[in-house]
Amino acid sequence: MTKTLLSIIFIFIFIVTHISPTITKAVDPDEFLQDPKLELRARKISKNIRCLVCQNQSIDGSSATLAKDLRILIRNKIKKGYTNDEIYTFLTDRYGDFILLKPSFKLSTSALWSLPFIFLIFGIFVIFQLNKKSKKIIK
Amino acid sequence: MKKKLSIFPSILFFLILLSFFYLLISDRNPSKLPSTFIDKPAPIFKAKTLFDNDTFISTEEFGQETTLVNFFATWCKPCIEELIFLKKLSNKNELKIIGVNYKDNSNKTIKWLKKLGNPYSKVVIDSNALIGIDWGVYGIPETFIVNSKGIIKYRLVGPITEKNYDEFYVKIKESEK
Repeated sequence: MTKTLLSIIFIFIFIVTHISPTITKAVDPDEFLQDPKLELRARKISKNIRCLVCQNQSIDGSSATLAKDLRILIRNKIKKGYTNDEIYTFLTDRYGDFILLKPSFKLSTSALWSLPFIFLIFGIFVIFQLNKKSKKIIK
Repeated sequence: MKKKLSIFPSILFFLILLSFFYLLISDRNPSKLPSTFIDKPAPIFKAKTLFDNDTFISTEEFGQETTLVNFFATWCKPCIEELIFLKKLSNKNELKIIGVNYKDNSNKTIKWLKKLGNPYSKVVIDSNALIGIDWGVYGIPETFIVNSKGIIKYRLVGPITEKNYDEFYVKIKESEK
């Protein structure tokens, strides 16, 4: 019984993590670049660009019209010889940092990047202090 | 004293958490993004005009008087509602309204404007959304207020309605200050 349940859970996790993302891919075959290397670059950039209509999805997986337009724009810029940084700058100049799913590290985003580490250090400090106190009580 | 000191980091931690929650629930609408173009010159573009197939050169159009740049489409229902208020603004003869026909069928748009009334002094065709992307547009309708110096002063995401008309008109007036 447990074995069957475990295998069902395993199959479910496998489908969710491996199969469904490929099903939801929204890139149309006519959008593909002929050069596989350039196409890979386009896909990599698209995966880091937020779909502003659906917001919690990248343009790579979104079927929204704006997402498609941005995918085409990225591919056209790649074909014209733009670098990845130039494409990101073009998009953030027009839509702000919000368009990046993984924002770059700069003064305005420093709190976003550093706070998790500050919280982690704070957590370790609290655990350390509590541990010290409990040791004292035991003694 | 030592006890008080040990409480201090916890208070600080909760204060940071509270400020995060405040930012989450405060008057913030994640569906309405601020424009990166506010207080910056309007993007330059060239395009074909809808009625006379002429070439529209933005540098010749902006920077003379207050101009509204309205991105619209016939397939966008709120754009129909908005048309009444655009006409109201156009009738005041205080500003120029440029329409950007976003991803639409030109013949259909001509018929649509003839039927419902045309508030635009010029309509530009943006069939592949390139002008829209250049202006950071992500939803239709969107309206930009460009002042007489060619600087973008305000962006409205969504239609001009009865509810926001007065506020929007104030923004137009303020754009020249």
